[in-house]
Amino acid sequence: MEPTHSRRRGLVPALFLVALLGWAAWPWLPFSRAEATPPTIVFYGFSILADVCQEAIFPAFQKRWASEGGGRVEFASSFGGSGTVTNQIIMGVPAQVALLSLESDADRLADAGVVAHDSWKRLPNAGVVNLTPFIILVRPGNPLGIRDFEDLTRPGVRIVHPDPLTSGGANWALVAEYGSGARGAPGGEKAGEAVLAGVWRNVVAQAASARAARTQFENGFGDALVTYEQEAIHDRGRGRLAADIAYPRRTILSEHTLVVIDRNIRPHERALVERFVAFLWSDEAQRLFVRYGFRSTNAGLDAANPAFGTIEAPFRIADFGGWKRARRDIVDRVWKGRVMKEIAAP
Amino acid sequence: MSSVSAAAAPKTRATVPVGIVLLVLLPLILMPLAAVFVFAFRGGPADFVRVLSSREAQFALRFSLLIAFATAAVNAVLGTYTAYVLSRYRFRGERPLGILVNLPVAIPTVVVGTSLLLLWGPIGLLGRFLEPLGIQPMFAPAGVLLAHLFVTFPYMLGAVKPVLDEIEGTYEEAAYTIGASRWQAFRWVILPAMRGGLFTGALLTFAHSLGEFGATVLVSGNLRLRTQTAPLYIFAQFEAGNVAAANAVAAVLAALSFLIFFFLLRYTTRNGR
Repeated sequence: MEPTHSRRRGLVPALFLVALLGWAAWPWLPFSRAEATPPTIVFYGFSILADVCQEAIFPAFQKRWASEGGGRVEFASSFGGSGTVTNQIIMGVPAQVALLSLESDADRLADAGVVAHDSWKRLPNAGVVNLTPFIILVRPGNPLGIRDFEDLTRPGVRIVHPDPLTSGGANWALVAEYGSGARGAPGGEKAGEAVLAGVWRNVVAQAASARAARTQFENGFGDALVTYEQEAIHDRGRGRLAADIAYPRRTILSEHTLVVIDRNIRPHERALVERFVAFLWSDEAQRLFVRYGFRSTNAGLDAANPAFGTIEAPFRIADFGGWKRARRDIVDRVWKGRVMKEIAAP
Repeated sequence: MSSVSAAAAPKTRATVPVGIVLLVLLPLILMPLAAVFVFAFRGGPADFVRVLSSREAQFALRFSLLIAFATAAVNAVLGTYTAYVLSRYRFRGERPLGILVNLPVAIPTVVVGTSLLLLWGPIGLLGRFLEPLGIQPMFAPAGVLLAHLFVTFPYMLGAVKPVLDEIEGTYEEAAYTIGASRWQAFRWVILPAMRGGLFTGALLTFAHSLGEFGATVLVSGNLRLRTQTAPLYIFAQFEAGNVAAANAVAAVLAALSFLIFFFLLRYTTRNGR
């Protein structure tokens, strides 16, 4: 083969690769940079926050900050399961602000020395940014007639459940199931344990996160799924929900805790981060959360979203003495210690 | 393909085996590939362009490409040098080393990610001493590069070493007899002969780096506009239910990979290997 011919044939791939490299590197080349990069807030959030933050909260704050004379601000963000996000922060990701599904994860950050113990309690509303009740998703038309957690204990109901070892939502679901029994009947703890045991006998699939459990359910697996109301009504609003929502008579309102990681905030960024944190509790931001299906910490704003269902007797984690005690008494002692052992026994 | 099969057997008989291959590959490979493009263009070409021109998609693609170029460049040098040493020198521990450098292929990438974190992360074995100095490779582009170098190392080696092993020692010796240094012999005798292996290895490395997910998701921190590679972007968008955005970027990656392997195939068939 003659070399000139071979050279010409090699020219196309070579030119293509050079063009590709040029395109990829373009924004970082010195002459293409129009202006200096603006200050950035690094935000980590649990999975169901992705849409509301990126489409509504971040743009609204950018406008607000500019109108207050602060200039441009950018967000670098990442969303994942609450437990995963917590582990990432413990491993050292540069998160400045994190919105976690449950306060236990904030406690884990404090135990790992990332933030001061209870530092989030000094924030407005003890660090709780928004809420959403736990509901039951059932197949369209509700063929099994599932109305409440007790119905999930009937033999033959197949339940998809996120895994409490890795999912924040699964922990809320555990307390919801336990509480619906414990707070309804005079039997108290025994009744709670009975609901929990009945539900878990029917669990046919455990997914790593609430989001993954949701995907399994959407793909046609199981008869029922215990999950956040926010996800269900946000999807219904976009015409994406192929399921019915069953509102239990008694269920938990999950409270999502904000953590500020001081060691990742440099002195000149402090004012910006603090303004953003305060912004999250402003009426403007709370209205956006409500529009995306979260319930506000300011209950007066909830009327703006007609999709919210009514729950006869909602309860909070404080009714069980907070997450530290709920973890010890419900998750560890009842669920892990008794229910799971009982189910594992033949 | 038809010219190859025509040379081996009469053309009429090729239809049956080719048909069987297509039938088997259809559900295994061809249909899933087609699905990527079908879902990418479901909203029409205008939607495809809109999704791709979002800042995050643009960043993810550019960042992935830069990492892939850097990975291919660094591993081209490291892999070639390692292959040269393994193929030209005899030393104690040569064989265990030869096995060790190939191990990254067999280790789950998630394990690669965690071990890099436990080594270089801010609370890692070495990382905890680097952090006070302001050096933090993890959750930064450097961490992504480290992970990709590790994961793709055997591809370069695997492409170059067999070629080096095949090159007759006599040419090299001839070079030495006319007074060439080791470097000169490498530059003017070995390097031209192994160009094909180098090219193949670099493109394979590039392609693998472009699609790497398991290790990247752990070491990058998965930050949009900072360390989110194209595969991470795809996964995040899919998780959030934005199938169109996920598949648009996936289609671009698939098209790029197709081009890369097309070049590879053309180059290798041209050189008769």
